[in-house]
Amino acid sequence: MKPNEYFIEVGSHQHSKFGQPVAGDVFVSERSGDEGRTITILADGLGSGVKACVLATLTATMARRFVAADIDVRRAAEIIMATLPVCRQRKIAYSTFTIIDTRADGSVQVIEHDNPPFMLLAKNPKTAVQKEQFAIQSQSTGQRNLYYSRFQLEPEDRIVVCSDGVTQSGMGRKEMPLGWTDSAAGQFVSDLVSRDPGISARDLSRAVVLRANLNDHRKPSDDTSCAVVYLRRPRAALIATGPPINPAKDVALANTVRKFDGKTVICGGTTANIISRELKREITIDLSTRDMNVPPPSSMKGVDLVTEGTLTLSAGAELLEKNVDPEAAEPNAATMLLKHWLDSDIIRFLVGTKINDAHQDPNLPVELDIRRNLIKRIVRLLEQKHLKKASIEYI
Amino acid sequence: MTNITVKICTGTTCYVMGASQLLSLPQLLPEGLASRVLVEGANCLDFCKNGQHGKAPFVQVNNTVIPEATIEKVKEAIRQAAETD
Repeated sequence: MKPNEYFIEVGSHQHSKFGQPVAGDVFVSERSGDEGRTITILADGLGSGVKACVLATLTATMARRFVAADIDVRRAAEIIMATLPVCRQRKIAYSTFTIIDTRADGSVQVIEHDNPPFMLLAKNPKTAVQKEQFAIQSQSTGQRNLYYSRFQLEPEDRIVVCSDGVTQSGMGRKEMPLGWTDSAAGQFVSDLVSRDPGISARDLSRAVVLRANLNDHRKPSDDTSCAVVYLRRPRAALIATGPPINPAKDVALANTVRKFDGKTVICGGTTANIISRELKREITIDLSTRDMNVPPPSSMKGVDLVTEGTLTLSAGAELLEKNVDPEAAEPNAATMLLKHWLDSDIIRFLVGTKINDAHQDPNLPVELDIRRNLIKRIVRLLEQKHLKKASIEYI
Repeated sequence: MTNITVKICTGTTCYVMGASQLLSLPQLLPEGLASRVLVEGANCLDFCKNGQHGKAPFVQVNNTVIPEATIEKVKEAIRQAAETD
């Protein structure tokens, strides 16, 4: 596998137990350094709600740090168990976890403690996972068994991990007295992937959680979480925003958009007008969505989305920050932009640096026309919070 | 019969200065007038770039540019356009 030919996409979806505002399952993911190492953790704290959330957050955060620092997993697990606070009622300190440590070359190590076993959806039926069991001592819960496995992920392979809220969903119903079960959930995932072989990690994890919630008649009896790690050919997006400082570059801007192999988005009225003029393609505004803060989107032939600039990008940055699911949000230009970002792996920003004189009016909000800072913030959020690869090029 | 075109600029400056409210214009037009008017959103119309057209938000009624547009000002311009037609 050549470097950069494949991309490790990580997606997760979660629904907390019915009536609980906070989930006790915590999902943490981090891309460490430039080597493309991706650490993904799903932890399920004892109980539900805030207490479980604290336990799971502690577990996931410690696990991430220990794995990133290459501390022996056995030792790391012992430290985690010894550090977790003891529940006053149950007198135990407990959280499950699954740690998936994926390298850019596709080699993976997985450490599991009490979550349902991960599923490997490998193209090659010969890919076998040998799990090595090892025991550690916990002061409050005695001997705990952990499982360690190491294998090679091939392009288009996926790892799926769920909390027990998924596999036990629907428990007690006549048709599933023991709940959905690991095997039925696994069957659901493989059916879905065979029907839609390119399904993204984000869409697959959402489908699993939504199905689990349906098993519970939309009132989940536990926190339901699913995370997917997918080694796929990267999907690229180009975001063109801002007019070039030198109008002689207008043609180059338009041609970059025209020739780009991937999704194209234009953010900015003047930018869209330049590209429309150069490519002789009309812009049509779509007034079907109404939002007081975000101007309406437009469309242009051959371009996936056209939006206004600064306001929409700022709103998009807020959505990235708050981890909003675009499918569940009110549709407007910012949520449409968010969807394009999240559906892509490698996002290139082409930023024109011409200052918009109209934004210099002191009566306007000061947030306007800080395009360069705004794009830097978006790139940071895309890379650190959403594990995308993003780059900026100024024109 | 539509013979009056109203373009509401939805560029950044205009939106911040009030175009978001102006987009509800179609619901606020009197019945007799509504059938003659086509209200469109527009990408930045570029009127804000130099002071010569006045201040945002801008609305264009046929060929007339209305600076610092309000619903009332736009309705008035539509009435005038309808009368001169």
